[in-house]
Amino acid sequence: MTMLETPTPSRETAPRHRPGAGLAAGLVLLIGVLLVVCFFSITLGSRGVGVPTIWKAFTDFNPGSASETVIREMRVPRTLIGVLAGAALGLSGTILQGVTRNPLADPGIMGINAGAAAFIVFGIMILGVQDVIGYVWLAFAGAGVATVVVYGVASFGREGATPVKLALAGAAVTAVLSSLTSAIVMTNVDALNELRFWQVGSLAGRYMPVFWQTAPFIVVGLVVAMVTGRALNGLALGEDLALALGQRLRLTRFVMFATVAVLCGAATAACGPIVFVGLVVPHLARFICGPDYRWILPYALVLTPIVLLVADIIGRVVVSPGELQVGVVLGVFGAPAFIALVRYRNLAEL
Amino acid sequence: MIDVVVSDRRTRRTRAGAVTGALALVAFALFILTMMVGSYYVPAWDVITSAFHLRDDPSVDFIVRDLRLPTATAALAVGFALGVSGLLFQKLLGNPLASPDFVGISSGASLFAVSAIILFGAGSTMISASALAGALISAILIYLLAWRDGISGYRFILIGIGLSEFMLSIIGYIVAHAELYEARQAMTWLVGTVGQAGSTELRTLLVALVVLVPAALVLQRPLRVLELGDDTAKALGARVEVSRLALIAVSIVLIGFATAVAGPIMFVALIAGPIAHRIVGHSGGGIIAAGLVGSIIVLGADLVAHHLLPVALPTGVITGIIGAPYLIWLLATVNREGRGG
Amino acid sequence: MSYVRRVAGGAIAALLAATVLAGCGTSASSDDGAKSSGPWSFVSGNGKTVKLDTTPKRIIASGAEAAALISFGIKPVGIYTNTKIKDDPNLKGLDLTGITILGETWGEIDVEKAAALKPDLIVADWWPAEKAYSGLESGVKASSKKLADLAPIVGVAQGDSIETLAQGYEKLAMSLGADVDDPKIAADKKAFETAKAAFKKAVAAKPGLSVLAVSPADDVLYLANPTYAPELLDFQRWGLDVINPDKPDKGFPYWENLSWENADKYQPDLLLIDDRSYASTLKQGEKQPTWNNIKAAKAKAYAPWPAYWMHTYGEYAKQLTQLTAAIEKADANLA
Repeated sequence: MTMLETPTPSRETAPRHRPGAGLAAGLVLLIGVLLVVCFFSITLGSRGVGVPTIWKAFTDFNPGSASETVIREMRVPRTLIGVLAGAALGLSGTILQGVTRNPLADPGIMGINAGAAAFIVFGIMILGVQDVIGYVWLAFAGAGVATVVVYGVASFGREGATPVKLALAGAAVTAVLSSLTSAIVMTNVDALNELRFWQVGSLAGRYMPVFWQTAPFIVVGLVVAMVTGRALNGLALGEDLALALGQRLRLTRFVMFATVAVLCGAATAACGPIVFVGLVVPHLARFICGPDYRWILPYALVLTPIVLLVADIIGRVVVSPGELQVGVVLGVFGAPAFIALVRYRNLAEL
Repeated sequence: MIDVVVSDRRTRRTRAGAVTGALALVAFALFILTMMVGSYYVPAWDVITSAFHLRDDPSVDFIVRDLRLPTATAALAVGFALGVSGLLFQKLLGNPLASPDFVGISSGASLFAVSAIILFGAGSTMISASALAGALISAILIYLLAWRDGISGYRFILIGIGLSEFMLSIIGYIVAHAELYEARQAMTWLVGTVGQAGSTELRTLLVALVVLVPAALVLQRPLRVLELGDDTAKALGARVEVSRLALIAVSIVLIGFATAVAGPIMFVALIAGPIAHRIVGHSGGGIIAAGLVGSIIVLGADLVAHHLLPVALPTGVITGIIGAPYLIWLLATVNREGRGG
Repeated sequence: MSYVRRVAGGAIAALLAATVLAGCGTSASSDDGAKSSGPWSFVSGNGKTVKLDTTPKRIIASGAEAAALISFGIKPVGIYTNTKIKDDPNLKGLDLTGITILGETWGEIDVEKAAALKPDLIVADWWPAEKAYSGLESGVKASSKKLADLAPIVGVAQGDSIETLAQGYEKLAMSLGADVDDPKIAADKKAFETAKAAFKKAVAAKPGLSVLAVSPADDVLYLANPTYAPELLDFQRWGLDVINPDKPDKGFPYWENLSWENADKYQPDLLLIDDRSYASTLKQGEKQPTWNNIKAAKAKAYAPWPAYWMHTYGEYAKQLTQLTAAIEKADANLA
């Protein structure tokens, strides 16, 4: 009803006839692309570092060399965090779209990132939390609360969570939370100074500790997310059919929303709120591999980090020696994609 | 038969008049009350005599005329402008959710105003002008992007939200790259509080209200026709299209100037119209009533924000807290195209 | 803390200071005795002369300026600050009983309360670049600016030296009736002179010692441009080699912004670290991987840098003594 492509039985069976080998080859190709992007993410930056030095940073690291330190302790963590956060955002977007059967479901649009951000700010200001691990738990709580509130609000009424209602509920929750956040932050200049960098969403200044503190959560979330493919396919058939197929809907939904909260929360704790990437990339994946979530999920898993890292590299290059935060780059490129999506798909008829 | 209709219409009109009068009284009472409270209590009569220059009393004149009157007037005017603007928008798009504060028009105004503050170090007149330009440009953009064989309310809203995210990410960038001092100025502005702007912005808004509200009243007749639906409206010819565009322009100018005075105060434009509609009854939903409801909300929110709570909060936070439950209710009752029941 | 911008105030002040402060020097017209209540006048930082029939008694002052007045025994009736009183370095340890707090957030002054204090003078620094007094800059709430309607405002212009700033407030305080013979006040000034002499001596004993003033932040390492930092200019005048960054930001030349990847560009022997919230600022630096590629950072050769905020001889003496100790301990030839 609200799915982007109404999955008629014939289309649902289509992937089985599709040559899976082609899709598998495509996936391998994308992994190759991801590796190339990672290479550029490590070599490009405001400090020019030659390939031999990069090699030395891995094989014979000398902490006294600033160039080697930059590679090993700044660009590598940044790249790793970009990969993990990208994967987390991509999969959470995919699952959200599947479970809500709503093509515009996105952690950014739905206010989930804003929820995580608000909880982190409250934590910093009110509870005096200062370490990343604290941010992570706060972000989980915030992401969870925002998911429940926004989806709950949007599902009221006969129609359920339509795209418009979901987007509006998300916009409303974001508006209230961000004005509350700003109000709190205004009273403390140091917090304001910290927040204004954090709230745009960036991979800069994130080092190994951030990686180690968020990686376990994201990895667990990703593993759970990857096995939801079959359940998402079931949900795409509609509640009645899913029930007939023996799915326990309530449990399935709960697990999926929990996964989304964990993935979004951890990604937000690591790099701040990043919008649009979780919305657009799943559509791209769906465009490539059709409606079968067992393919969409791995494609989103690989595609999203590529998009995130490319945006990050663009941000590093265009205003060099300064930096455009990745959140800004994605906001600027993501909005037209979102608008195109709204314009060219007749959402009301889904 | 005709007599019955006429008399029925007359009673409705009488009721609308009476209710609008009552709203005006409440708004006035809140306006005075706002000026009574603060660090020092000033009795109602002293406020009235001082504010309206009926008597000169140096002991209260500074507090009332110089300190409290501008804030109270700003609250009154901003609320009125937001109420009128929201109502016009909702009627023109035929959708109660089409409030300018969500569909990117406020964020357009914010983006331009913040750029003016930070990139050009603009003074107050420039901030006003920029906010207006931002509101206009984003409205035109949304209109163009949402146009596909006509404007549908839901597409307008979704594209507005997308555009809004776009603008917000640019605002984030600008704020992050500003000097702390100017970032703070911009953040203060972005939260939305009445009484932060100077007299120039306020005067601009007041002039706009004096000129545009009567204009909107004149244009209201074709507006009624629009309520019958686009088909009927089309049948009535191009004149309707002109008034429609004129009304959108009025609405955007008002929200632009209101944003210049108080920053983006959320939810007022969304809730004022429907509340007025409910109170006044189905015949009215009049522009004046919506404006008055807007004023009442902003004045009330400002009172709560500054005097009832232990910590002073920006007005926008309070209107957000008032507005959110209404939005939830609205979302719960909209039908599938996003039209209110 | 609009200090970051405040530096902007210092910027142009640097050029104007000589003239303006010369004006201040001759400004205290009531030289016929501190206790006089006769006509009072003062040439404010903006060059305008404020004249009053009697010497002002009820003063409202901005935080640091209030601290300066208090150090000369003149107690304001009300103060307003940019930050929580307890976080204001100038007001630390001062007895504020009997002083009404009119605001502890930048841009917000409770003018209703201020009006009730019936002030006859407002004292705030003049920032030449912004053409505004502290707390009344553009961007503050319109209602706060009404403070200026309550009483005339005077202040010393922010310039190229904390020493001259302190002298300016000394002049102002004397015109307001400060007792210069008070042993405590004289002691403050003497402590400053002693500290200054010790500082010069320590610097002379360490030839080749270079110093860099920094403010580490999440995204970049800010390097102070001494041209716009009055106390750093003082230090340079007194012989200390404070490094002038070679590429100050074009739009905002008060700092050079270094990406953390290039944090090792300068290699001073001693790092002066912005002391406005010293601990958290230092932590910002220490968590950056390239921090330890600055040899002074690796050797933990740090000292607090009293960035832009000092106003009094007493405080300056304290800070100089601390810095002198750090210089004596520093190694001019860090490996």
